[in-house]
Amino acid sequence: MEFLSPATWEEALAAKSAHPDAVPIMGGTDVMVELNFDQHRPSALLDLTRVAELAEWGPDGSRVRLGAGVSYTTIIQRLGKHAPALAQAARTVASPQIRNRGTVGGNLGGASPAGDSHPPLLAADAVIELASVHGVRHVAAREFYLGPRRTARRDDELIAAVLLPERAGPQHFCKIGTRNAMVIAVASFCVTLDAATRTAGTGIGSAGPTPLRAVAAEEFLTAEFDWQGAGPLSEAAVRHFGELVASAARPIDDVRGSADYRKHALSVMARRALSWSVTDYRKGEAQCA
Amino acid sequence: MRVTFTVNGERMTADDVWPGESLLYVLRERLGLPGSKNACEQGECGSCTVYLDGVTVCSCMVAAGQCEGREVGTVEGLADDHSEGSERRLCAVQEAFAEAGAVQCGFCTPGLLVQADDLISRTAGAGRGVPEDPEIREALAGNLCRCTGYEKIIDAVRTAARREHEQVGQEAP
Amino acid sequence: MTAVTNQTISQPLDRVDGPAKVTGRARYSAEIPLPGTVHAVLVGAVVPSGRTNTIQTGEAEQVPGVLAVLTHANLPKIAAQPRLFPSLFGHAAVGETFFPMQDDVVHYAGQPVAMVVADTLERAQHAAGLVHVSYHTAPSTTTLEQGRDRAYEPGRIFGGLLPGRMERGDPDSGLAKAPVHIDRTYRFAANHHNPIEPSSTTAVWEDDRLTLYDSTQGITATRLTVAELMGLPSSNVRVLTHYVGGGFGAKAMIWPHVALTAIAARYVGRPVKLALTREQMFSSCGHREEQEQHAVLGAGNEGRVTTLRHHKLSATSPFDDWAEPSLNVAAQAYSYPNYQGSYRLVRTNTMTPTFTRGPGEASGMFALESAMDELAYELGLDPIELRLRNHADADPLTGNPWSSKGLRECYQRGAERFGWRERNPAARSQRDGHWLIGSGTATAGYPVPAFPGLQPQRARARLYADGSAVLQAGTQEFGTGVATAMTQVAADGLGVPLDRVRFDYGDTELPNTAPAVGSAGSGMVSSAVHSAATSLRDQLVAQAVAQAVADSESPLHAADPSTVVVGDGRMMLRDRPETGETYSELLQRNGVEDAEALGSWQPTGMDTGYALTTFGAQFAEVAVDSDLGLVRVRRMVGAFAPGRVLNPKTARSQLMGGMLWGMSQALPEGTQMDSRMGRWANASLGEYLVPVNADAPEVDVEFVEVREDVANPLGVKGVGEIGQIGAAAAIANAVFHATGHRVRELPIRIEHLLRSA
Repeated sequence: MEFLSPATWEEALAAKSAHPDAVPIMGGTDVMVELNFDQHRPSALLDLTRVAELAEWGPDGSRVRLGAGVSYTTIIQRLGKHAPALAQAARTVASPQIRNRGTVGGNLGGASPAGDSHPPLLAADAVIELASVHGVRHVAAREFYLGPRRTARRDDELIAAVLLPERAGPQHFCKIGTRNAMVIAVASFCVTLDAATRTAGTGIGSAGPTPLRAVAAEEFLTAEFDWQGAGPLSEAAVRHFGELVASAARPIDDVRGSADYRKHALSVMARRALSWSVTDYRKGEAQCA
Repeated sequence: MRVTFTVNGERMTADDVWPGESLLYVLRERLGLPGSKNACEQGECGSCTVYLDGVTVCSCMVAAGQCEGREVGTVEGLADDHSEGSERRLCAVQEAFAEAGAVQCGFCTPGLLVQADDLISRTAGAGRGVPEDPEIREALAGNLCRCTGYEKIIDAVRTAARREHEQVGQEAP
Repeated sequence: MTAVTNQTISQPLDRVDGPAKVTGRARYSAEIPLPGTVHAVLVGAVVPSGRTNTIQTGEAEQVPGVLAVLTHANLPKIAAQPRLFPSLFGHAAVGETFFPMQDDVVHYAGQPVAMVVADTLERAQHAAGLVHVSYHTAPSTTTLEQGRDRAYEPGRIFGGLLPGRMERGDPDSGLAKAPVHIDRTYRFAANHHNPIEPSSTTAVWEDDRLTLYDSTQGITATRLTVAELMGLPSSNVRVLTHYVGGGFGAKAMIWPHVALTAIAARYVGRPVKLALTREQMFSSCGHREEQEQHAVLGAGNEGRVTTLRHHKLSATSPFDDWAEPSLNVAAQAYSYPNYQGSYRLVRTNTMTPTFTRGPGEASGMFALESAMDELAYELGLDPIELRLRNHADADPLTGNPWSSKGLRECYQRGAERFGWRERNPAARSQRDGHWLIGSGTATAGYPVPAFPGLQPQRARARLYADGSAVLQAGTQEFGTGVATAMTQVAADGLGVPLDRVRFDYGDTELPNTAPAVGSAGSGMVSSAVHSAATSLRDQLVAQAVAQAVADSESPLHAADPSTVVVGDGRMMLRDRPETGETYSELLQRNGVEDAEALGSWQPTGMDTGYALTTFGAQFAEVAVDSDLGLVRVRRMVGAFAPGRVLNPKTARSQLMGGMLWGMSQALPEGTQMDSRMGRWANASLGEYLVPVNADAPEVDVEFVEVREDVANPLGVKGVGEIGQIGAAAAIANAVFHATGHRVRELPIRIEHLLRSA
């Protein structure tokens, strides 16, 4: 096994091109488990922790550009305003030690349906920037997850960054776990209300072979919500939203929870997250008025 | 491969490192520093917590090569080493753990101490005062303990933070 | 009898092993630096039943640094298979009467089928992955459900120690006459101990003598077991263990990997270290068995329980009749005249279950105390009042008086601390946002081990002419605080200051004590240490006062020894303390460098005329998310009467830890069997959940003092288990109080409370 340690992004892309089966490693939270348990011995490890620009973040036109190597700890401390749902999700990731190392790039690379960053990226309509020696391309998060742990990333590509639309409304992330911390989600959910585009976004975690959107729920909410006056949603509408979210899930029974429970929990989380978001939206409207 | 990095202020080199080896493995098996414990190898228990460039990490989740040229701090380096040959003095959090009954079998203790030391230096040590219980519990949530029921660990961290806070207060002009 | 003036017992002293543990200096069994040590890695069967077909070792053998690949084809055979017997009794103590790699049969998934030895751990692990095993798979049974129709009633369980069926009075007519019945079945998932330190053994041979560094709760058991398995004289096996990272029963019996390490070390002619991985811990050191318990209470309308029928059905291995003794304390918890208990077993393709913290009583008292709570609601009685109405003033099993009890005080003091009286007794009567709030209580009980056939417990005391002293016993410290408490016992017994005494342990070359299991450790070892220390003290006092010896210069010469007291290393007359001399002065004057005495104590049998049980009361407050079924424990109070508390600081920590085990048993913790694959489905700390710091409730421990004169010389009843017993029931009862929904299954899962909305 080789250990490749590029110091620049160009070197990293060249290395990935020369070793398409090299496994990129940043926080190590997925890769090292496989190595420690000897489940998989790749031909090379590609350490990206020395590529300085991966750990950078900042405005990028109308969006916020988040380097693939920004740690969850940094997201919590610095991105709460720009990407509140992602920051909320980051706060629920594993332990402080893991949050100090773990990155959204790593979450996207592993593409576990239980990864905490996926629902906020889906709901907020984030864009994934992929790069190789052949160039850069952008893939919407909503088109990124193709199958169980399978993504739109090609073998010679590295995940460079996540581009988040500048926030234009409330976002809420919820996660169910049987502990108060150190939890792999039994199910998770994210909702966004975007006042600029007057659209709602959703993301579902741990309830299907990939992270999912509840498209029907989004459409329903986009149509139903009083974007102008921010009037309250009827109880029936909130309940219907919850049902639509639950029906979008494709969960299985496993040691963490049953499929039925996951569907039920998603409907509860969807109702709660929506209610909080509507309240926030109204506060925001009030401030604007 | 060869990996050279600083451990507890001392430059150390490990040879014949297999590139997939963890920092934990190198510390324990190659550098004679078994203070950091191996208990789950998947970042779930916190027993292997060390400082890496001043930030706490699970050393089982760090590839050895990622540490090249970096600074690692382990439980063995927490005590203040005043001068050669002198008795090593326990640091505040070590002292508080020993006094409070926060130690039982001791296997989770090294990782907990590093994590608690980090919390105290970021709070009381940085002039931010003594952390509240929820902050302590959250900071230590990644360090499993099977013996104590955690209550005495919280006591110890509170005590250490209070002492640190008082000391920082005295040092301030 | 000479009295001692200084008193360190019952003082909350800091742990003597604290500094070594907080500095990282403490070396556990996988951390002993021995030159030339090589590494062994086990390969476990991936099927639960059948035979190995081919085991291809060629590729593994080619890995650089590999010294041996052992399978049933080339592993030297064991000399004998010891019988299964609880290690407490001081004999060889295998965890199961099956030793792997003797033939090609596979009894359970994870059973070792090959072992690789290599110069580095990484190479051994890699080569282990290259051992290719194919199987002839046979049908398997791995759950109670699959084997229910093949259940059988064993004659005896628990290594033959306990009968499979017990009865007193007339349970049939008792139930027929009772106007009120509670008839319920309670189910329990399997549990794995998960001490933070995975078990490890390092084996070193010097000619035909073997030294083992083993993470064990019983060095003597390791010695005798490995000697018998390998056909070695016991005197040729030495076992050392200075620090053990938790046990909880996983290290109470001696499992096959220990002898396998010794066999491998002899095979390669090098010291061999074997450290189990976390995943291997799930199929290497036993577990608490999957079980269900059927409890039937018959009671009068006023709440007097006349009958308990308590039947247990549980899973055991293909080769041993093991059930944790779940029925003991439940049978004597209340004053029912009619009782029937029985065990039935199902053979499953798992390893033999074993002691797991609160062995037996943690499950048995969950069933009984849940049923009692149901009865309280049925009758509209306060749960504490119901328990008081059924209080057993004497042991209902034998009619013997209790050696000490204190249970009424535990209810009373616990209830005060908890604020039980302020509780609205109606279920589902308190809400905090979307959280439903409730509280529950349960009785705790755990037997003080008293059996015929326990080995004598021994210790040695040595005092040097400079006044320093060493007490030695072959016990081991796995977090209990025994080393600290024994230092206190030694200082008091000898009458010397604490800082002049050291307690040596963790070496089979020291005087023999039993493994520390079943809350027996501190009672057993303290008796031996106390005996050695007081023997040495009496010997030195006798020497000082002796009239017939050449040394007549002692100020105590010719004094009556019963008038002599000791303290701070000095012997003196009680009435005239200025008359006396130090131990040092006595020894130095006589030109003697040291004095030594052995102490021995024969543990209590069953013929004392008393019943020996530790009691307590548990209280818990929970919050249940009414929409999501999430349960959070907000606070717990436990009041316990464990007899003499040698060190309240370490004892309190033990009890708090035990209570958290009860919370863990109630909520996150349970091993699930994937019956399709025949393997544990959640064999990692990522999937087998134990509470994290952020889950821990506020825990309050109250000691209720009782005078205990029967159990042992210092009146120690033990604190290792009692903190856990009843805690899970208190939580489940609180969940009912919060939601009106009764969960009769552990762990309580979110799915159970879905319908509580």
